[in-house]
Amino acid sequence: MNLFRSGEHVDRWLGGRPSGATVPVGKLCELAFAWWSDRVEPEWRPHTREQNQAILDRLGLTGDFWRLA
Amino acid sequence: MDERDIRLRNLTYGLFVRLGRAPTAAEVAGELGRSRVEVLEAWRRLHDAHALVLELGGDSIRMANPFSAVPTAYRVDADGRWWYANCAWDAFGICAALGADGRIECSCPDCGAPVAVQVRDERPDEDGLVFHTLVPARRWWDDIVFT
Repeated sequence: MNLFRSGEHVDRWLGGRPSGATVPVGKLCELAFAWWSDRVEPEWRPHTREQNQAILDRLGLTGDFWRLA
Repeated sequence: MDERDIRLRNLTYGLFVRLGRAPTAAEVAGELGRSRVEVLEAWRRLHDAHALVLELGGDSIRMANPFSAVPTAYRVDADGRWWYANCAWDAFGICAALGADGRIECSCPDCGAPVAVQVRDERPDEDGLVFHTLVPARRWWDDIVFT
């Protein structure tokens, strides 16, 4: 799960290996704030898989690659 | 994860933020008034539930996601300290978890050029960067260190 200067850098780094998923940094930041914001709250409760899947879905991270199960 | 384990998990995370590093089992035990062995047993259950990640020996923390207990390629300056993140996603996650603006520093895995991103008001100041993950979501926890 790495950050690259551009999609061209991802392609060169892959060197012909199958690609995974590429996401613009703005979308990644949105995802991070949706996913991690409660993580150090004193009364944190575990997320269910359904809650986490809903975060991905809401941000348009859909399709088989983004299915948690 | 039962209620006692969740409470211990939350105290572990709280100590991580307060100390700026992963707490030891003895430190958590001291805070809770429980034994070090009880803390290690709870940590193992939390590890199995993917609520934190232990080192191979099982007696110290490797990840309290999004925080890394060991140096990584992703450094984050937030809330008055430098932190290590487990990956690019977690780097932004540290700003999110701390509720703070921050600065993320890493390098492009392709060319090695330094990359720095400021996060302000939950937004990055760079638009052109991209995040890439090789591993499909359902396999993230097969090998979380590789992921």
